[in-house]
Amino acid sequence: MSRDLENANPTILNVSQLPSRRSKRPETRRGPDSKCDSIVYPEQHWSYGINSSSDEGEDYAEDPVDEQDIYDLISTISDPEHPHTLGQLSVVRLPDIHLSPSPAELSDPDSLITASIDLTPTINHCSLATVIGLAVRCRLEQTLPPNYRVDVRMKDGSHAQDDQVNKQLGDKERVAAALENDTLQRMVDKMLETCT
Amino acid sequence: MSNLKQWALEYVLSDDETAQLEITKKAALEIESSRASSTVVGNWAASVQQWMTPANAESGPAEDGVEGVSGDIIARAKVQRLIGFFGAMFSYDHKAGITASAKALRQLYAAKSFKPNMGIKILEDVCKIKEDFRLQTAATRLELYQLFLSLIQDPAVSSELQHKYGSSCGFVLDLIQVCQSERDPRNLMIWFKILALFLTEYDPSPEVSEEIFKVFSAYFPISLRASATPVGITAEDLKEALRYCFSAHHRLDILKTIQACIESYDNPQANLVPYVQNIWNSLKYEVRNGEVKETINATLQVLRAIARKLDGTKTFKLDVSLLKSYVDLVSRDCGDDLANPTYTKQAGLLLMTVISSNIRAYVLYNAGFIDTIRQNLRQPKSPSHAADLLLLLNSLLKTRMELFRDRKQGHADDEESLKIEERTHLDTLFHDAYLPVWTAKSKEAASEDKDVLKQVTQGLALLVSQQVLQEDGTPTLLCSASTSSEICSLLIAIITRGLALSSNDNTAEDTTLEDEAVSALRTIVANYTDGYAELAGRVKAEIKQRDWSNPSEYSLGALKDLLSRFTFIGCSEIPSSIHLETTQKGLPLQHFVTLTASLLGLFPLTPVVKSSLDEGATANAHVISSLHASVIWFREACEAKYGAEALTSKQADAQDWLAEFRGLPEHSLLQSDESAIAALSPSSDDGPAIYAQFLKRSVFIVASLYQSASTGAQGPWGEKALVQLSQMAALVVRSLDEKHQLSCNLAHEAFNFFRATTEPTVETSSGLASGLLTLGILQGLRPAAITGLYNPGGHAERFMSEIPDFGGLSSSRESDIRAAIGSILANKFKPGPQAAGGDAGVLKGVLEFWANWLKESASSTSLDATSFRAGSAIGLNFIAGAAARQDPQVLTLIPALHTAASSPTPNGEILASSLGLIVKPSSLLTRDNHAITRLFHKQWIYAHLAKPLLQPAQPGSADQLAAARYRVAVLSVLPHCSFTIYQDDLPALIRLLVTALTSQEGLSLSADTISSQTVAALEVLIEILGNEPATLAGHVGAVIKGVTKVYQENPPLSSRKDTATGPGVTAAKRALCRRLALQVLAAVPGRFEERHVRAYVLPTQKMLAVACGDPVRRVREVARSARAGWARAVQGG
Repeated sequence: MSRDLENANPTILNVSQLPSRRSKRPETRRGPDSKCDSIVYPEQHWSYGINSSSDEGEDYAEDPVDEQDIYDLISTISDPEHPHTLGQLSVVRLPDIHLSPSPAELSDPDSLITASIDLTPTINHCSLATVIGLAVRCRLEQTLPPNYRVDVRMKDGSHAQDDQVNKQLGDKERVAAALENDTLQRMVDKMLETCT
Repeated sequence: MSNLKQWALEYVLSDDETAQLEITKKAALEIESSRASSTVVGNWAASVQQWMTPANAESGPAEDGVEGVSGDIIARAKVQRLIGFFGAMFSYDHKAGITASAKALRQLYAAKSFKPNMGIKILEDVCKIKEDFRLQTAATRLELYQLFLSLIQDPAVSSELQHKYGSSCGFVLDLIQVCQSERDPRNLMIWFKILALFLTEYDPSPEVSEEIFKVFSAYFPISLRASATPVGITAEDLKEALRYCFSAHHRLDILKTIQACIESYDNPQANLVPYVQNIWNSLKYEVRNGEVKETINATLQVLRAIARKLDGTKTFKLDVSLLKSYVDLVSRDCGDDLANPTYTKQAGLLLMTVISSNIRAYVLYNAGFIDTIRQNLRQPKSPSHAADLLLLLNSLLKTRMELFRDRKQGHADDEESLKIEERTHLDTLFHDAYLPVWTAKSKEAASEDKDVLKQVTQGLALLVSQQVLQEDGTPTLLCSASTSSEICSLLIAIITRGLALSSNDNTAEDTTLEDEAVSALRTIVANYTDGYAELAGRVKAEIKQRDWSNPSEYSLGALKDLLSRFTFIGCSEIPSSIHLETTQKGLPLQHFVTLTASLLGLFPLTPVVKSSLDEGATANAHVISSLHASVIWFREACEAKYGAEALTSKQADAQDWLAEFRGLPEHSLLQSDESAIAALSPSSDDGPAIYAQFLKRSVFIVASLYQSASTGAQGPWGEKALVQLSQMAALVVRSLDEKHQLSCNLAHEAFNFFRATTEPTVETSSGLASGLLTLGILQGLRPAAITGLYNPGGHAERFMSEIPDFGGLSSSRESDIRAAIGSILANKFKPGPQAAGGDAGVLKGVLEFWANWLKESASSTSLDATSFRAGSAIGLNFIAGAAARQDPQVLTLIPALHTAASSPTPNGEILASSLGLIVKPSSLLTRDNHAITRLFHKQWIYAHLAKPLLQPAQPGSADQLAAARYRVAVLSVLPHCSFTIYQDDLPALIRLLVTALTSQEGLSLSADTISSQTVAALEVLIEILGNEPATLAGHVGAVIKGVTKVYQENPPLSSRKDTATGPGVTAAKRALCRRLALQVLAAVPGRFEERHVRAYVLPTQKMLAVACGDPVRRVREVARSARAGWARAVQGG
């Protein structure tokens, strides 16, 4: 309330429009007639015997970290201005997340992987771009294993001063120094509150 | 000042409580002695202020100081004085002191010696701040609002305030003076709450009430500019809070008062008519431009009340001109608005309310209203305009149904007027209004258009359900048979198109329109009953014209959807008895018969399946699934329509339905023509009778399918279809009462499968098929209906003590089924008074036989592991069935089980790890299935089976191998018991758990057993951590070490590290171990003193960081939350 918004009217995506892993699975029926599906079309039709209720199964299949995982980790960060998430505001987009080399193709689980994320600020002079970048960095450093290097940048041409912002975000010491600042740290914590 | 500052510093630095108390006393005295001087108070507050950073505000010296003063030592008088001191702050402009004083006052309010009259003093003092209030920071103001709120909602303070001020509420005006220009959203939330409290709790005078109304109405309409530092309040919250103020205000009361006046005044001609125009003019904008839901609804109530009053009473109708001029007035003002998308909804709402308030107004005006809608629908301004108009049309049809339903409760003229009601405009609605919109929109696929289509679908259902009165007064359907049929085919096309399209054409994931069509058809066929036969015809034709021997995955999905919808539409609602003139009366069982006849006619879709689980078998299984679903739905529909009693009421006569079944001509179950339905239908609409007829037909269906499944080779029956048939039989059988179960001799049929002759036939079907069929019936039988089986030499004995030929068991599934049947037979045995000898002896013998078998086979090495596993599962399930009803016989078997578990053979180990089967929850042994289960049987089994093993299972025991086996046994039982069952044995248990996690070396346990034991130990640890973590305090280190070891020894498949667990353990089980291990770690932070976990913080955090990259997603998720938990704990510590 204290000041005008930099971008008062951003485009907001509905949560159901966001890319998710769910839509890649066979869909469960939801119509009015689906109430007794669990009885007449059970997922496991054999419910007798010793192994009937063990929860072993596809859920434990190996499924290494992929771009969607990274997206899920950071798309739920709240925007510092709007009561929406970075995913809803398309600041974070799935096609702008890259893992190299891809963990699925690696044989050695300890080899170094770079996660590069290009952010798209809602307007190209957004002064909060650095804070957003910082929050994304923090979130990934808190949730990815130590063999991941995180590279957060503004997407080319998406920000008037993307060079400067990128430099700030890429500089480990400046990032560390920024997080020493209580106000900034609190702001980042606030943004990360919506992550689960 | 310097004194106070010094004391404050000393206070902060001092560790000694008494010293602190001394200081606070000194400070209090200082202030007290110089009460007149505001400077001292200001100084006091300022000296305190510097120590009041947000971080220590909760425990800062101010609060402590106040608490110290206000404690037992300085009593009420002192509190009063302190209130005086802090209150005085507000009379002077001393910035630094206000926040501190506000906090102090809140603290004082919480003090023990606080009295309500002090609250008044606080309010009066604080209000002295006047204009300076708005100069304070938002945080300070928040502090004060919170203070106000706590005082005002305190019942004691509130009653004191009302006592002192009465309804003039002077303090309210003061407060309004102080707070009226608030703009901070957080503060506004509280301020609105306070204002609403004034209105609801304080009974203010009209003048004050008006003042309060002015204050909050000035904020309307409220919006919120987002800020860089969101405070967690949305514009919606503010609107809600403000709306609450409005609804608390008397404006609502006024509306309700008007309504009450209108309803109670006699002689409307004189008392109401002159004012109608005024009332309308002043109220219409409440709806047209209103935003507050409560006010809108109350206004509509008033308008409706006027229309009802102008109509007359049940016994006396007023002159029609009064009502006419009122409705004309409303129509004039609203008619044009229907063409304006902004106001369509509101105008429609006003018109609808007035027109549908009584039958006379409806009959006079609905045609005009519908006509206006129809005209607008021809050229809607936007898709949402069209949707709004359709919504209005649908609502009108809905209210018409309500008026029609209640027609007998009004004046006799009403019913008469319905008989001669103009109908053509309703008749033509489908072709004039709905169909054109449908045709125009169904080609496009935009989501807005889809909303319109959904509205049309709902409208069509309402249209077909409309009834009209014939001249003789009997109701009939409004739509002609041809129109209804046309509507049906339109909707049927939607739900059958999935099957007609190919998987490439039908990519739409959104099935809402189909779902809407399903709901609509369900409503339609409940009224226009012929529609269901049309649907059945189409469905059968669509399915039959395809080859189902090897269908694609897409076709199977489409088949499933279609059959499931077909079933739901016909069986989830019982048809009403309203009918078209041309056809016969709708009968309750009509659709159920049509559906089951169609499905039985379709089955099998493919006559011979190649393997039990191929696609053709699945297609066949879908048909059986739908038959199963039809029984579930119809049963629920009966319960919904006739009440639960209809399902349990006893039938006087219990005929042998099977005799009737055997007398049926061939294919009679496939008939769904009038005579077939009429034969089943009871003459009256009597719930229990209908339910009994439904059950009878269900028994017939089960019997005929059992005959098909039990004769000859596999034929069309795959495993899924057999399982569904078995479960359907269980449902039907358990719905029968004892008399019917007995009169149909179902216990016998469980082994005879409804075959015509009783002579032993050659076993033609597979063991699996016959086992599933037997299980289905036994599962639903009541104990009293099963007694015949326990005769010496009877089915039960033969079945139960037959040592299966393990080589002959074609699959583990067969032994699963044998075990399931065994548990039921052992459970549903009800020893009657006369049963001392014969049948009780049979069961006793069977149990002894199995105990011996287990003991002997466990100690020998002649039986291979697979066979022993199968055999022991059967034996243990028998015991489980008997244990559920706490058969004392079970206790005599336990020593044998203990001995067998400790046998130094591989089979002994298998038995030890399977003992949990005795307590494992089973869907077969439930009350629904009429099983005999004692409430505390698990406690009983635990106490006798597991508890005696706790001591010998401890790591220090002499016999290491036996100890290891006992641990396996205990851990196989525990996960199936709830925490309270083993709660008393935690100390012994925890030692056992830690041992199970840490030392498995040299105990010659198989890898599989070790990993099952690990999973169980981790599950139990998670339970303990969740319920009584304190008992683990001394073992935290060992637990963390243990689970870390588990995590490391169960690496993912893709890791190239050498695995500690053997090849026998699946990757999935290893992932489960890792997940549970991390789950235990996640539960540790915050539950133990820091000294217990300090040493493990770093290595654990490191391990969790690595675990965040686990290749299994569910493991990663737990790792992340555990990592966050440990990080928080470190920061917090």
